[in-house]
Amino acid sequence: MIEVQHLTKRYGPTTAVDDISFRVEPGEILGFLGPNGAGKTTTMRVLTGYMPPTEGRAVVAGYDIFEQPIAAKRRIGYLPETPPLYPEMTVRDYLTFVSKIRGVPRAERRARVNDVMERTRVADVAQRHCGKLSKGYRQRVGLAQALLHNPEVLILDEPTAGLDPKQIIETRQLIKQLGGDHTVILSTHILPEVSQTCQRVVIINKGRVVAIDTPDNLTSRLRGSETMYVQIDAGANGAVQDALAAVPGVTHVAQTESRGTVASYEVNSDSGRDIRRELSAAVVNRGWGLLELRPLRMSLEEVFLHLTTEEAPHE
Amino acid sequence: MSNVLAIAHKELKGYFASPIAYIVIGFSAILFGWFFINLLYYFDRMSMQAVAGFGGGPQSMNVNEVLIAPLFLNVSVILLFTLPLVTMRTYSEEKRSGTIELLLTAPLTDFQIVMGKFLGGLVLYAAMLAVTLVHIGFLFAFGTPEWQPVATGYLGLLLMGACFLSLGLFVSSLTKNQIVAGMITFAVFLLFWVINWISSFTSPTTQGILNYLSITEHLNDFTRGVLDTKHLIYYVSFIAFSLFLTIRSVDSERWRG
Repeated sequence: MIEVQHLTKRYGPTTAVDDISFRVEPGEILGFLGPNGAGKTTTMRVLTGYMPPTEGRAVVAGYDIFEQPIAAKRRIGYLPETPPLYPEMTVRDYLTFVSKIRGVPRAERRARVNDVMERTRVADVAQRHCGKLSKGYRQRVGLAQALLHNPEVLILDEPTAGLDPKQIIETRQLIKQLGGDHTVILSTHILPEVSQTCQRVVIINKGRVVAIDTPDNLTSRLRGSETMYVQIDAGANGAVQDALAAVPGVTHVAQTESRGTVASYEVNSDSGRDIRRELSAAVVNRGWGLLELRPLRMSLEEVFLHLTTEEAPHE
Repeated sequence: MSNVLAIAHKELKGYFASPIAYIVIGFSAILFGWFFINLLYYFDRMSMQAVAGFGGGPQSMNVNEVLIAPLFLNVSVILLFTLPLVTMRTYSEEKRSGTIELLLTAPLTDFQIVMGKFLGGLVLYAAMLAVTLVHIGFLFAFGTPEWQPVATGYLGLLLMGACFLSLGLFVSSLTKNQIVAGMITFAVFLLFWVINWISSFTSPTTQGILNYLSITEHLNDFTRGVLDTKHLIYYVSFIAFSLFLTIRSVDSERWRG
């Protein structure tokens, strides 16, 4: 549905986006993750036809955004970083105007406007001027505007920015519902948002793609080795560390905490090998109490930091 | 076409939702009224003198020549001050607030956006001119002016205003700051207004060029009831060129990002 090939965008001497390629399948929700200034907004602006790329091409809904911009734009709904509202217009007038320029047939306009106002929960401010809305409402009117012409592709630049927690949950639910019928790209720097709403994630940093995968795969793939967290009550016996190190497959044991007879350890093992059975047997057979045993997974947050910091071995 | 109208409608709504439309229409009405009264008194005195035969006054006083034509020429002063207000925010405000992103990512061509904005400004300007019909109406009610010079005069004013509007649109597309846009527009208008002031001191060739460039010089014939294609071509090409520059400017903005 969306195909980006070797996209590069330079502003004078600075390269905002550097040779990005990725695909988005129909009905998929793709998360665009990256620190501020990574090139998320620039990529989205190229995809929506706001600006042409310096090199490379982007095909949206079967139309090259640069060769056939009008046909492609008809199929795109776009929420920019700042919701593009006219302060002097009422919400209803504004949405009616957008439906006109987005080519919604006259007969359907009223129904479409009412429908998107319901879905984005802005119907109660229909007669208010856009300039007098709170940040949360502005954001949702911006989202409503993107949905008006029922586009095949939705490009949302930080759709939950400025919303309160309840609105964030509602908006995420709305976006999830939209996936399936629509192909969605959303950018964010809120990590849980990606794992909750997106099927796939593109992590970009300094204009380059550093990883594309599902949130689950990203978190597991990046563990070089498996790490187990164990908490053991070994009574007076102190040779726990040696006992754990003796378990087959264990490469490293580190004590992280100890309080009285209870101590916690992080046990590293060869990746791809589940040592939980051996580990628990080793503890229980010695008559110690196994209080806790769980795999330590890298959270998406750690993956993100791992991928976007300089020292990352991935680069 | 419906896209152009949608943009024009939005622009007009914007003018009337802000004080701009009321300031432009209100102040131009006051100024026009003031010019009208002055010229009316002048015309009145001249007619009295003509009737009394004092001072070798003209044989017959023509209301078109003595009153309406100078009045129309005075309108160009009003335009000089009011039209920058109309165009200064058209693009700069959209750029500043980010709404330009909505327009440029909607299925619209740059041409449609520029034409819509131009048309919106033109309708506001036409409304401003419409107010002056009241004064002219009085002349027709109490006198017998010829209607043809009045009609061509209005056409001339409409064309001259359209020139100013298209130029203002271009200047507005160059900056995010509407005050800067307004000031530059005013300065450029003024330059086109006074450009032939030095023409009497220069060589005939330069004089010809400067007179041709002067935006007010071309209005003279219109107010006298003369429809000369030379002037029509000047105004229409001025408008077309400014709108073309605006489209190029919006497009180049995309490339620069």
